[in-house]
Parts: sequence; structure tokens; C-alpha cells
Amino acid sequence: MSYSDKIKDVITESDVALFMKGTPQFVMCGNSDRALNALRRAGAPVTAVDILPDPSIRQDLSVLSGWPTIPQVFVKGELIGGADIVEELERTGELERTLAEKLGDGYRDSRTESVVQL
Amino acid sequence: MRVYQFRHIRARGSVALGRYDRVVSVERLQGLLQREFPDAKQLEVVDRTGGGDHFQVTVATPAFDGLSLVDQHKRVYNALAGPLADGTIHELRISTKGTT
Repeated sequence: MSYSDKIKDVITESDVALFMKGTPQFVMCGNSDRALNALRRAGAPVTAVDILPDPSIRQDLSVLSGWPTIPQVFVKGELIGGADIVEELERTGELERTLAEKLGDGYRDSRTESVVQL
Repeated sequence: MRVYQFRHIRARGSVALGRYDRVVSVERLQGLLQREFPDAKQLEVVDRTGGGDHFQVTVATPAFDGLSLVDQHKRVYNALAGPLADGTIHELRISTKGTT
């Protein structure tokens, strides 16, 4: 079974999609934690997908994105990077600018964090 | 001359790696990056934990001028595709910039 279609749905339908090891409630990797916390500090409405239940999820995701490692962060369908880039964008203020630009100035108001199972 | 020590230490997890293996890992990564970015102004590989599998890579090169951070990091991932696939790299932190 391929996860490609389900992954594409999450990427295109979520304001901010975070593919991570574990869930926001139980993070299983330091880098996923770094990305999640940078997004939280920026007030991003995160939709998280745990890639650990099936190795095929990660394989199909990396084929789609061209990005070999986890975590991966997408804003409105566009890959913005992994933990290093998200932290760097946070430091320069560009993360919040990008979120405001793509989601609207009131993006912080929704304050949602959800988990999607593929 | 570099003196390799074969005194084994207990690395993170259960794999014992000698100093020699770790130096080889750093040099292998540096070699791959130098081949990919021959014009790099800065090119650094740091073994973050001393275990030979967690690396910080820093690259500044004119090849990155005009590229997004995502595309800059993808170039680094491509250069290190071998050690990423064979398990040499367990964790990779990347910092990139152009020169303009």
C-alpha cells in the first residue's frame, strides 16, 4: 500500500503540516522536538503526522518531498525545511512572517494542534 | 602526522567505535562535501557527540547564492547521500549560506 495520496492530502489541506517521529504529546526524537517547539513558539497551528507506525510512510514522504530526513515542515503545501531551517527561520523572524503571509495575520488565534493518522 | 588511537570507547547506544572510525567518518564527509562544493569559502564537519554518527555540517559557498534554504540543504543531503543511506550518519545538523 502506498501512503502517497494520504500524505499529499495532509500536506495540501493543512495550514502547517509536521511529519515527525512520535506525536506532539509523546515526541520520540530530539529533532522532531526542536521543530515542534519552534512552531509552537511561533504560534503555528500544527497538524502532526507520526511517521513511526510504518517505515513506508517515511519512504513515500521523502520521495514526494525530495527531503531525506525527519522532521519535515510544510506551510500551505510548501516544504519549508527540517529542524535546522525552522529554528533558523525562527531566529531571523522569518518563520512568523511566512506564517502571517501564508495564513493571514490572525493565524495565532486558532491555537490548534492536531494529530492525523495515515 | 596524525596518530590514530585504537582505544575503544563506548559510544551512544550499544555500538563501540574507536577513535580511528570516528576520524574516518569526519574525513569521509569532508571529502564528499569538498568534491560537491569545490569553491566553498567555509566547509566544516563536527562530530557533535564524539560517537562518530551525529554531525554538524557548515557550508558557505557561492553555489548557494540565490538558492532557498531548502534547496541549499538538499544540495548537502545529495552530497552526503551515501553515508546517509548506509547508516554512518545517524543525525545530521546542517547550516548553510551563500556568499553574497
